[in-house]
Amino acid sequence: MLHVLPGQSEYISKTQAGGDMDDTGMAEKLVRVLQRPDGDTALRPVHTFGISATGFFEPSPIAGNFCVAEHFNTAKTGVIVRFSNGSGSATRRDGWSDVRGMAVRFHLTDNRDTDLIAMTLPEFFAPTPKTFLEFAEEAAPAPYEGQTPWQKILSLIQLKLPKRDPYPGETISPDDGAIRFADQNAYAQLGVLQAATIGAPTSYVRAAYHAVHTFIVTAPDKTQRWVRFTWQPIAGVLRTDPNLPPVDDYLDAELQDRLGKEPARFSLMMSIGEIGDDFEDPSRPWPPHRIRVMMGTLTLDAVSKNQLELCEKLSFNPGLLTDGIEASADPVLHIRKESYEISSEWRGATPCPFSQR
Amino acid sequence: MTKAFDPQEIQGNILRGYRRNLVRHLILEVTNAGVARRFLGLSVAGDSPDVPAITPDKTWPTKPEFCFNIGITFEGLRALRVPSRHLETFPTEFMQGMTKRAIKIGDFGESAPEHWPAPFDQPERVHIIASIHADAEGPLDRAQAQVERAFTTLGVRNGRNLPEGRVFFGYVDGISQPRFNHIDDPSQKDVDEPIDPLGTALLGYPTRQEGVTFRVPSPRDLGFNGSFNAFRILAQDAAGFETYLNDAATELMTHPDVNQLADPHRLERIGEGLDMHGALREVVAAQMCGRWRNGVPYELSPDAQYPEERVSLTNFDYSHRSRCPVGAHMRRGNPRGGPIVQRIANYTRRLVRRGMSYGPDFDPKNPDSQERGLLGNFIGANLGAQFEAVMCDWINLGLQDPRITSSNDPLLGANTPQTSWFDMSLPSGGTIRLRGFPRLITSRGGAYTFLPSIAAIKHLSELND
Amino acid sequence: MTNPNSWLNRYVNTLPERGWFNFLSRYVVVPYWIWKEPRPKLPGGPRPSPQPSESVQRMMNLIMPLKDPSPAGRARATMAIAQNVDEIFAGLDNVGTVHFARFLLIDDNICMISVYDGDFSNYIRDFITTIGSVFDDVVSLVEGGEALLPTEHNVEKFIDWVHDHDLFQAPDFPTDLFGLQDAAKGLAPNKPPHMLESLPRDLILQLHANRNISLGGGYRAYPGVSAAQVRRKFGQGW
Repeated sequence: MLHVLPGQSEYISKTQAGGDMDDTGMAEKLVRVLQRPDGDTALRPVHTFGISATGFFEPSPIAGNFCVAEHFNTAKTGVIVRFSNGSGSATRRDGWSDVRGMAVRFHLTDNRDTDLIAMTLPEFFAPTPKTFLEFAEEAAPAPYEGQTPWQKILSLIQLKLPKRDPYPGETISPDDGAIRFADQNAYAQLGVLQAATIGAPTSYVRAAYHAVHTFIVTAPDKTQRWVRFTWQPIAGVLRTDPNLPPVDDYLDAELQDRLGKEPARFSLMMSIGEIGDDFEDPSRPWPPHRIRVMMGTLTLDAVSKNQLELCEKLSFNPGLLTDGIEASADPVLHIRKESYEISSEWRGATPCPFSQR
Repeated sequence: MTKAFDPQEIQGNILRGYRRNLVRHLILEVTNAGVARRFLGLSVAGDSPDVPAITPDKTWPTKPEFCFNIGITFEGLRALRVPSRHLETFPTEFMQGMTKRAIKIGDFGESAPEHWPAPFDQPERVHIIASIHADAEGPLDRAQAQVERAFTTLGVRNGRNLPEGRVFFGYVDGISQPRFNHIDDPSQKDVDEPIDPLGTALLGYPTRQEGVTFRVPSPRDLGFNGSFNAFRILAQDAAGFETYLNDAATELMTHPDVNQLADPHRLERIGEGLDMHGALREVVAAQMCGRWRNGVPYELSPDAQYPEERVSLTNFDYSHRSRCPVGAHMRRGNPRGGPIVQRIANYTRRLVRRGMSYGPDFDPKNPDSQERGLLGNFIGANLGAQFEAVMCDWINLGLQDPRITSSNDPLLGANTPQTSWFDMSLPSGGTIRLRGFPRLITSRGGAYTFLPSIAAIKHLSELND
Repeated sequence: MTNPNSWLNRYVNTLPERGWFNFLSRYVVVPYWIWKEPRPKLPGGPRPSPQPSESVQRMMNLIMPLKDPSPAGRARATMAIAQNVDEIFAGLDNVGTVHFARFLLIDDNICMISVYDGDFSNYIRDFITTIGSVFDDVVSLVEGGEALLPTEHNVEKFIDWVHDHDLFQAPDFPTDLFGLQDAAKGLAPNKPPHMLESLPRDLILQLHANRNISLGGGYRAYPGVSAAQVRRKFGQGW
């Protein structure tokens, strides 16, 4: 009775990706365009710097009412989490205003895994792979100088916010290009605005992370719900003071220090989409009035000892799902699956599960 | 303030339905105010051979060849040169027009005004909707030709009655209507529902809400005895409905409580020659509507479409123990005296409904998806208090009962397969939740019109530029 | 080209905190823009929305200037509410869609803050039927209220008036302001897209047109449920 996507539970087939004709080409182009001139092809093209931690996930008593997936129905599931800075630059700049990432891999039984990949920006910059490519091309890092004092005065007189000064050592930035693109494309405006003002968290575990895409969860009575996930830090959100000079390298040490003293926890909140909400457009967040279900608690208690194997070489993939969770028809979600595979291959990482065909 | 009421002072088809076979709605633009007003003057005087006469609410010894009536939009009143100071006294929702109220009344997605076909894609040009009712095409053509001499025709919509008074979903429709003390309506003689005050349909009279009266637009000649109409073109996905009934029945066949919905040993009460699957289809259709497809109210006869003892088609009410599902279309549209959250509001949002079907015949055995549906008129003294109030809080959202809140009417509501649900009722008091039905009725046009009284039409004809 | 550490640059960075700059901004720069690019006042209250969770637990923030804001006048307003307690509870229970409602006297205003379900005009209209006399008492204390009395015979006018005094709710996503301003002028939203950098100006100018606003549609701890649903779930009857 419900026109369910003919999806397989764990893998998204290419035929469902829809949207652009040249999907393989698109995924590759996206990985390439994201590579910064000051990046490193042996590393990820974005979210280059990161740190992994381990812990476990415990579902809430009602989580199983909404989703039959194993980790919502098992008392405890082991996880590995990679926190990261969004930038693809090969120079670590923790203190610069940047989106952060939190990729969670749940270790299910029988050596199976499922991933949930989230970031501190609640939406993407563009609704489709093609428009995302256009955005990435326009927002390719370019020399950044900020404004002269006189230009700033002119902005203030026009009741516009002056551009921020470049950080010490900052020579290129995507900001100008992103704003240019947002001026022409209304759908990118919210993402660009929020990314520009997102700042830096005082700790990886003091930020909220959003998985952005819509997923379809299946309940035991076969009811399907279109949902979006968010990790809410139980320690609360706290940013660094933007008026102080940024510190380049503190997040990894902070996490080591913190987890050495006590575990960090996140709540998994699941918002349920309703009629009129866009299930396929990742550039549009849902207003905060949706029913949000508290699906469980993530506890992180240790930083991974082998950061090379368990962080750098690890290949997460947003398409790595499991029975009970399916992808919606969001075209960017589908393209990300391929882009992550390609990126993983190019940097010589441990092959992600999809490459075992 | 309330003078003795004379039905001949208002247009026909408001308090009493015409019951003709055919209707033609002409969607008109006023291109020359003087010419338009002259037409209206002759029409209301009723004695010109070149201009169709406005039909008042009159008991006829013999049926006239055709009936002719008009509704005027806000832009139409402006085009006829009603002065601004009087235009301002009309209600806000009427001034804005139906397209600006779209989200409130559920016209989004496929029903959004952005998708409406001509002429409703240019709402500012829709000025007058002239409706001609007749039993043959000839009078419709003649009247149309006469109208077109004074107005620009932006579009035409033709409607007809289907056999047995049914609509394309297969239901007998139009059974329950408000009834008024002041007029004699033979079709309502067996009805024992509460009387509605004139203020339900006409401006200038007390309404069902104690003490409340709606503003009569000024000047009084123009506003008094007037009414408002939500004219709606509602496409009905008859094929989709039949498909959904199949899917629902198939799913229900395996439900442990299925025998409570239809007694497998007494299927002939639901229909002749039906198997269990076929009977379940009829039960789903009956519960979604509130009436079996033959018109028998589910509340009075929940186990049989063909009850042994004849039941009234209209004389019933709802209670906490009702078998009729709370979310049924009919119960949402008119909860009667039943328990609702807005306890003050029982009987206050009644609508006069006049409608005819449009489009080609539909054969459930050979379903097709050509456009067909209903040309509906939803009439009341105040659009905001009646039509809009019913659409936004009762038909959609289901605020009147916490058991259906956040769900939409299964037939008329703004549904998508991903979000829709409807709880069927079981005699035990339990429910079975159905999901996954699509939007079955889509709006394809419409307008808010003012239905002026006879005196008001005369007033309009006498305006100056 | 720019030396971020130049004294001029550092000085300019501090301008928004300088008194003389704020004075200039407030009395010269902003008024100039208000004259040059005025914005229409945006309507108050929540905007219609297809989603059920947007249609329940809606916020009303009604700010009504008192005719007599002196202590005696405000005492009169206080008594008007106090003497109508039975009426108010009857209204709340019989309209059935209000979660919370409270009256506040703030400065020269009497404010009615409530959380309600469904369409705002239905809620007001049903209230007029049940407690029209309370509305009459309150409205007679408010500036411009005489034109609305008695509320039972001025239902539409009263609804429009409440709509006008209900605070504009800033969109949950700041960039949606562009589309709202376009729609208020009768233009198609974001055609062409506004410059992103003009958002501060648009916001400042809008805050001139709508002096008091609600920042968003409000936080909800248990979103998506109506008052009657809560009562039913907790077995309190509805």
